[in-house]
Amino acid sequence: MENRWSSLKEKTAPYVLLSPFLFGFIVFFSYAFIRSLYFSFTDYDLFSIPNWVGITNYINLFKEHLFTRALRNSLTFAIIVTTLQTIFALLLAVVMNQKIRGIKYFRTAYYMPSVTSSIVITLIFMWMFQRKGVINYLLTLLHQYGLTIGVFLALLAGIQFLLVFKEKLRGRQVEYLEPSYIILSIILASIITYVFKDFGIIKPIEAKAVDIFWLNTREKVPFWAGPFAFPRPLGAIMILNIWTTVPTFMILYLAGLQGIPKALYEAAEVDGAKGWQKFWYITVPQLKHITFLVVTLGLIGTLQMFDQVKIIGNQAPLESTITLAYYVYQSAFPGASAPKVGMASAAAIILAVLTLTVVLIQKVFSGEGRGLRD
Amino acid sequence: MKIQQNYTNDINLKIKRRRWMNVGAIYLILLLFSVLFMGTFLFGAMSSLKDNPSKWPPTLKTEQLSLKNWIGVYILARQGGAGGFFGELKSGHEVSLQITYKYPTGVEIIPPEAIIPKRFKGAGRAALDLDKEFTADFVEIKLIEEISRTSVKNGTQVSYKISIVNSSQKDFDELPIDLVVPYKVKFKKATFSPNRIERLGMVQSWNNLVGGVIPYIFHNHFRVFNENYSRSTGKRLFTTWIYNSFFITIVKVITTLIFASMAGYALARLKFYGRNYLFVLILFSMMVPGQVTFISNYLVLRDGIFGFTKLFGGGSLLNTFTGLIISGLVGATAVFIMKQFFEGLPREMEESARIDGASTYQIFAKIMLPLAKPALGALTILTFQGVWNEFFWPLVVLTSPMDKFTLTIGLLSFKNTYASGAFDWGPILAGAIISALPIIILFIVFQRYFVEGISFSGIKG
Amino acid sequence: MKKGLSILLIVTMLLVFSAVSMAETEVRIVGWGGTDQSIVEELINKFVVPELADKGITAVYEPIVDDFQKNLINSLSAGTAGDLFYMDIFWAEYIIKAGQVEPLDNYLAKSAVLSKDDIIPSLLDAFTFDGKVYGIPKDFNSLALVYNKDLFDVAGVSYPDEKDTWDDLENKFSKLVKHFGGEVTGLCLAPEFARFGAFAYAAGWEPFVDGKTNLMDPAFKEAFNWYTGLKEKGLGVMPADIGQGWGGGALTTEKVAAALEGAWVLGFLRDNAPNLKYGVTFLPKNPRTGQPGNFIYTVAWGINANSKNKDAAFKVMEALTSPAAQQWVLERGLAIPSRKALADNPYFEKDTPEAQANKIVFLGASAGNVKPFKFKEYGGQWMDPINVALSEVMSGQKTVDEALEIAQEQLDELMK
Repeated sequence: MENRWSSLKEKTAPYVLLSPFLFGFIVFFSYAFIRSLYFSFTDYDLFSIPNWVGITNYINLFKEHLFTRALRNSLTFAIIVTTLQTIFALLLAVVMNQKIRGIKYFRTAYYMPSVTSSIVITLIFMWMFQRKGVINYLLTLLHQYGLTIGVFLALLAGIQFLLVFKEKLRGRQVEYLEPSYIILSIILASIITYVFKDFGIIKPIEAKAVDIFWLNTREKVPFWAGPFAFPRPLGAIMILNIWTTVPTFMILYLAGLQGIPKALYEAAEVDGAKGWQKFWYITVPQLKHITFLVVTLGLIGTLQMFDQVKIIGNQAPLESTITLAYYVYQSAFPGASAPKVGMASAAAIILAVLTLTVVLIQKVFSGEGRGLRD
Repeated sequence: MKIQQNYTNDINLKIKRRRWMNVGAIYLILLLFSVLFMGTFLFGAMSSLKDNPSKWPPTLKTEQLSLKNWIGVYILARQGGAGGFFGELKSGHEVSLQITYKYPTGVEIIPPEAIIPKRFKGAGRAALDLDKEFTADFVEIKLIEEISRTSVKNGTQVSYKISIVNSSQKDFDELPIDLVVPYKVKFKKATFSPNRIERLGMVQSWNNLVGGVIPYIFHNHFRVFNENYSRSTGKRLFTTWIYNSFFITIVKVITTLIFASMAGYALARLKFYGRNYLFVLILFSMMVPGQVTFISNYLVLRDGIFGFTKLFGGGSLLNTFTGLIISGLVGATAVFIMKQFFEGLPREMEESARIDGASTYQIFAKIMLPLAKPALGALTILTFQGVWNEFFWPLVVLTSPMDKFTLTIGLLSFKNTYASGAFDWGPILAGAIISALPIIILFIVFQRYFVEGISFSGIKG
Repeated sequence: MKKGLSILLIVTMLLVFSAVSMAETEVRIVGWGGTDQSIVEELINKFVVPELADKGITAVYEPIVDDFQKNLINSLSAGTAGDLFYMDIFWAEYIIKAGQVEPLDNYLAKSAVLSKDDIIPSLLDAFTFDGKVYGIPKDFNSLALVYNKDLFDVAGVSYPDEKDTWDDLENKFSKLVKHFGGEVTGLCLAPEFARFGAFAYAAGWEPFVDGKTNLMDPAFKEAFNWYTGLKEKGLGVMPADIGQGWGGGALTTEKVAAALEGAWVLGFLRDNAPNLKYGVTFLPKNPRTGQPGNFIYTVAWGINANSKNKDAAFKVMEALTSPAAQQWVLERGLAIPSRKALADNPYFEKDTPEAQANKIVFLGASAGNVKPFKFKEYGGQWMDPINVALSEVMSGQKTVDEALEIAQEQLDELMK
């Protein structure tokens, strides 16, 4: 008796251990997914009984202006943000991968945007993106002091070149971007610029305040991109999003960087490889797996962007910010008209399929045969 | 030989200097980036102190952070009879404000008119407190006295002392004042700067002369707490939201830790039918956005999980914490993390325990769980962060009343309260900064786990 | 066994207790947050409780701050909606046609205190479909010209008044703007049909002719050119240009001399610009038609068709719209009541700026070409193309003709 009981206990153990998870997984994922699939073929409106309508919803979706806008916005957003955040995260990780004092403090500082909630960050950014906001003010300053900054940069480049050239004449191995000289050049260039300014040789331009509509506009940027241009409010969200996600991915890259054997770099140095060559031929290929992970996670994350659109709300025209995820929500819970659950579900299924396809495509392209991780 | 020696020294010195400068350059770059990442928060935090954070041009100069104003506020609050940091206007006390104007040549020099206004606090919310007692009904302006007059270029600079006395038996925590001067008379300085200058410079307005230093500095932060209260229960909404967020987060962290380690262990080590399919499904579910499943989940909660709650006399689970928690007991990501972790542990201990006759449950509880401490630490932080910051699902589930909101949804309602009429960014920024504090403190204290968690899972939240 | 029995006992007792507590009917009222919450709660305390407490009816107000329509529709579908709710004229048609609102004719027939004849007819009409009344208007609003007296005083320009035509007003603005050298501008020009529309109506434009909307109508263009022309001449500014969302916010900046708003702006100014010296007058007349135009905005009480407490809800509605309650609301300057009898209330003769403003808004609803703020079943979608056109023309992105052409296309698409 005792024995049978314990063997039964052993046999059921996996299911018992899994049961709380399975409850949620079945009810709130599997069932929900299947039901969404079912709704997408019906005309359900939350009030009446759903009627089967076949693929009408899917056809109607592509006829709807707002949906195609949302689809385009989502794709543009995903591609641009994923690309940029991956590049920035990698570069930042390389900079951060230093054994120097106080690096911990910097890591804390860098990671701050990633731990705070989307609502906090979006509210702060919305404030900065106002017509009379911080961003436009900084741009105004940039405009007014453009000449000064230009002179400074020109001086910087000139001095750096001269310094390095001098060293090269002496036959030393130095690179043009040698950090130690950059410091010296910055100091010298600052002094000269300051002197110029003081003598009134260069003056800030009396320019009008920069007045870019970051949120409340339908304008598309960049203007030369033609059909590939995206609404500027979406661009504002891109900036915000890159700013928040770069630190997370930087941590992943940092972990990867620490796993690259030192010997590889040493061997390359013996062969006379320069800084960027080491980066391109060792660092990047060695981090291939991490890059796959970062891009996958980036795509999944960006394709479901919703919070920012909802939070910005009526501060920007809907069609300039709408994404697929928001379209789904908006159709299910519209303002003054009937909930279109069928349409919403069809759009949701398209979103899911799109996510899977994009991840698979990138898996094929990166030649990453194994699972999501490793 | 000597020359050679000198040359080597020279080289050594150069290398040393170069290394030092390299480090300097790296610090410079690091510093630049931290300005980019931290600066936004710091500037937001600083601006949240301002009376009007959207004033153009945006500056770092904040009246609320000037020592001169602090001293002025402190002095006036002390005159009011209470502390300088948290002030009051006590019965029988007199406060006096000094103010200097410049009267341009040709404008008659007449003293300003002082009015103690009756102000309602809040964006229309308290406008109906008709029985409210106003300071204005009890205190009086005792005198407006000229204390000095100097002539300056194109006019005369005149200073006045304005004394207000509370001869009633009551104490007041608030003493607003408006000073009105003719058009073209210019305000120069005062004991502390007015909160607003209105009507083409004719009115200088102070919110509270006797508030004390702390309420003066954190004016907007106090507004966040004071102006938003539930009229049905009288409780402060912001405090309620903080409490709600903590409650939901803590419950979900606990359920996640327990259920994720159970499921993770089963997936990693136990054999059962459909294990691989389940794992693939879990991976799949991690890729499916929440928007795909939310309509069904919304309906499931609406109907009380297939009518199940009706058995207990309950109804719809919408607008309840039960609904919010039960639909997110444990996430697939958490299970995935725990599975990966358990798979990485050595099998020996487990196997020897099994030979000793330990049951699966015993092995799990006594051997595996203690070993999983680092993973659980990371999972705690990740879940805390994820739930605390969760936006979409609470937005769907919690719609009313407002005392059911979590902090994220509450902040969204702030945008409607303060940024739909006047673009009053002060309380919005203040609310945002306050609500970010717990997570930032948590992050600074448990930084190590955060970083570990990210590397563990490669997934944020 | 014993344990089972005691559990059964406890459950039975709980059920009995809950049944006892059910004897008191609680009517849940759903409306907007903010000031409305204060007003309705005060009304409940002052008028509903004394009237209905002994009948076992209590009322509780549940404010919805964010996205009222969305929340209402969701809760109606979920069966969790309140018994009595706000219905804005703007979107009421949809939920009424979805069968979610109880027709009130039977209740009104039996009622001793509330009758159709008490209510201003044009307001009631807005909530009448197929001869059935679905909502009792609680108050209403119209647009008025709110101006900053200081700016006119300092510039030495006479205040806008009811005799002004568009041209007179434009003249006053141009003098004022000249005096301040561009520091201050004239009118706050929200790029919205909800404001601009009043001018189109003044010019004699009809929004729907044979079920179609014609933006190419000369009357429409006349108004459109004048409104957007103010911006071009520097006599007006879009609120967003001065960092604000609407006319009320723009007035607080003291950068605009006037804005077009309804009585809702009064409470806002009291809170946000307590020192502002403002005056209120009628909208200017179109020089050609000699008429001003205006919108009527109104919100009604509706009863949830699926409510279990419909009779109690109607009782609460009676108390909330009683003459005493409406008088109380009016005298505090909170809203303009919908009962005809209150038109001669002495409050309107008071000398305070708020009472004067309320009077202007009250009278504005019947002066000139006035239309209710609703656009058939299209709701906000109908206004969107026009709003975009206004915004694009005023921000210089498109010419009037280009913008109107696109808007006309989109409207045709919508209404086909």
